[in-house]
Amino acid sequence: MDGIHDMGGMHGFGAIAREADEPVFHAEWERRVFALDLLVEAFVEGANIDAFRHAIERLEPATYLTVSYYEKWAFALEALLVDAGVVTRAEIAARITALEESGT
Amino acid sequence: MGALPAAAIEAIVMAGGSARRDVADAQARFKPGDAVVACNIHPAGHTRLPRYARGKRGVIDRVHGVFVFPDTNAMGGGEQPHTLYSVRFTGDALWGADGHARDRCYIDLGTATSTRHERRAADR
Repeated sequence: MDGIHDMGGMHGFGAIAREADEPVFHAEWERRVFALDLLVEAFVEGANIDAFRHAIERLEPATYLTVSYYEKWAFALEALLVDAGVVTRAEIAARITALEESGT
Repeated sequence: MGALPAAAIEAIVMAGGSARRDVADAQARFKPGDAVVACNIHPAGHTRLPRYARGKRGVIDRVHGVFVFPDTNAMGGGEQPHTLYSVRFTGDALWGADGHARDRCYIDLGTATSTRHERRAADR
């Protein structure tokens, strides 16, 4: 798709910032998202590396440009699970609300 | 849903799952050195062909073998294994006078929707 992800050759984004001694994961939740992706691609019908990449491409453009690398992964995992009928958008929203209300 | 044993995780993470498929009836249409033109396609679905290369002339650099075709596999269309090539583009082919003629850009492209013979393109 002709989406925001296809940025090759675009101008205006500035230099790529390189982090010295960059860790594999910057937070525990990133490690968990990485593991969840392996599981989803191994076991969920229709999920594979290519469907995963396409799910990232389908992120809303402004979101794509502003969220972190593993946030993109997390959003893509949600999309694959919704597409496969494992969870619904309403269930995800309800869980977020419950976590916010519990102060977790 | 079966269990994924913890002992299997490290091998999967370190080696990755290969997209290579040994399909007996697949034949490479192109050989290294063949001139090709990247297709000018704009699918709403997934493609590994970047916009900046579409319609651009390149040369087959190497034949990788037969691999899962991401354009269909992403969309529920199955693996449809294709011959995968490394296609070499020059900087000025991609970027015109703003590119550098000595730069080379290598893009992995599959036969069916990504490339066609330059001769056929010239006939049109």
